[in-house]
Amino acid sequence: MVRIAEEWLATCGGCEVTVLDIGEPLLDLLPKLQFVHMPVLMDHKYFGQTGEKEFEIPEADVGLISGGIRSEENARVAQEMRKKCTTLVAVGACANFGGIPALANLYTLQDLMDTVYRKGRTTEPADNPSEDIPPLKDRVYAVSEAVKVDVGLPGCPTTPELVAGALTALLEGKPFSLPERSVCDDCPTKREKKAVATLKRPLENVQLKEGQKLEDVRCLMEQGYLCQGPATRTGCGGADKVPRCIRAYMPCRGCFGPIRAGANPMVDMMGAISSIGLDARQIEDRMATFNRFVGATGRLRPLPR
Amino acid sequence: MAEETFEPLIIGFCCNWCSYAGADLAGVSRLQYPPNLRIIRVMCSGMVHPNLVMDALTKGADGVLVCGCHPGDCHYQEGNLKAQSRADAIKLMLQDFGIEEERFRLEWVSASEGPRFAQVVTEMTEQIRELGPSPYRMG
Ligand code: SF4
Ligand code: SF4
Ligand code: SF4
Ligand code: FES
Repeated sequence: MVRIAEEWLATCGGCEVTVLDIGEPLLDLLPKLQFVHMPVLMDHKYFGQTGEKEFEIPEADVGLISGGIRSEENARVAQEMRKKCTTLVAVGACANFGGIPALANLYTLQDLMDTVYRKGRTTEPADNPSEDIPPLKDRVYAVSEAVKVDVGLPGCPTTPELVAGALTALLEGKPFSLPERSVCDDCPTKREKKAVATLKRPLENVQLKEGQKLEDVRCLMEQGYLCQGPATRTGCGGADKVPRCIRAYMPCRGCFGPIRAGANPMVDMMGAISSIGLDARQIEDRMATFNRFVGATGRLRPLPR
Repeated sequence: MAEETFEPLIIGFCCNWCSYAGADLAGVSRLQYPPNLRIIRVMCSGMVHPNLVMDALTKGADGVLVCGCHPGDCHYQEGNLKAQSRADAIKLMLQDFGIEEERFRLEWVSASEGPRFAQVVTEMTEQIRELGPSPYRMG
């Protein structure tokens, strides 16, 4: 029996849904798993709110954490999870790279507070709230920036196959990691290394005929859609490997993060875009666009003025 | 006072066939140029990926100079043209990162252009000295 503890930090809950979304493989896994802690199901709260509960996480073999570290509370929960769990798994883009909330790292905490509590047109100016809520950190941190993480399952949300795969590997005592290859490497679309259109707005429709196979569809980027496949790690495609968004005729937005630790997706994308003849100048807000899911881990910070 | 003590740190990527030889010539001809440049020899200016430039500029360097052979002289045919088109992307990224454009330069220097090399380095060092340290420079 493997004991599992699950925690959510600065998260939307989508990654927890993914864990529950494993489907049939979960039935095979369940008899071997015991969930000893999972606030999303058991409604533990530690701070303020109804915070009379004691801060306690039971010992577990595997700890799953979704969400990045935005507040002091998040940081303490992450540390406690590290202490109590033998193997720690970071689940989702937020836990691994900060995710969408880490777009806030483009601004200082002061700017953020001013905007939210004082500068909004419909907001009565007020002081930063401080009663019964934990203070915020200066920026959003990935879990791995605070404690050692043993396994990373990226994606926004991550995929049921990855969670099941990682749990199965851990049960069998085998290592688990993703290949260092790009989404393009697993993408079936047709490529000719040359754009056939200028950059399009993200919501314009991809050109395809009804029933047309993906193999016959021209690479979305070559059609002018900003697709982050070249700078994004593959692994979202599940069993048949076709990347999740491409399968739905949508360009990749980069939720699996950089192909290898330390790579800079923005620089790689600028290279990829210009090499097929698209004009990167037409892209709005490039910094945030190319770092949409990876704002922690040093990728986004307030610009020097 | 602080400005007077600031010495820019400039990373120079010089291609082996022309520019490194040009830098060498500047050296053996005993031409004077500021000691702020740290030269890294690369086989071709075309192999200087924008990653290297952006990493240098966001992790402590105050400037980056890429030197290659004159157009048409690249020993790998089109490496320097590639460097040129990358330079456009790099300039755009400098804007995005809030880094002054003058901190990056791409120059063609042949093996016989020792004096030109010395002049480029002198110019660039002076320019960056005026700008001050890179906004990303770490303590
Ligand atoms: S990675 Fe996406 S789905 Fe998962 S917690 Fe973050 S925002 Fe939600
Ligand atoms: S850029 Fe996008 S559409 Fe084109 S091959 Fe890569 S993942 Fe596929
Ligand atoms: S295609 Fe890209 S954005 Fe879509 S799920 Fe895969 S990695 Fe994420
Ligand atoms: S060999 Fe000098 S630029 Fe290519």
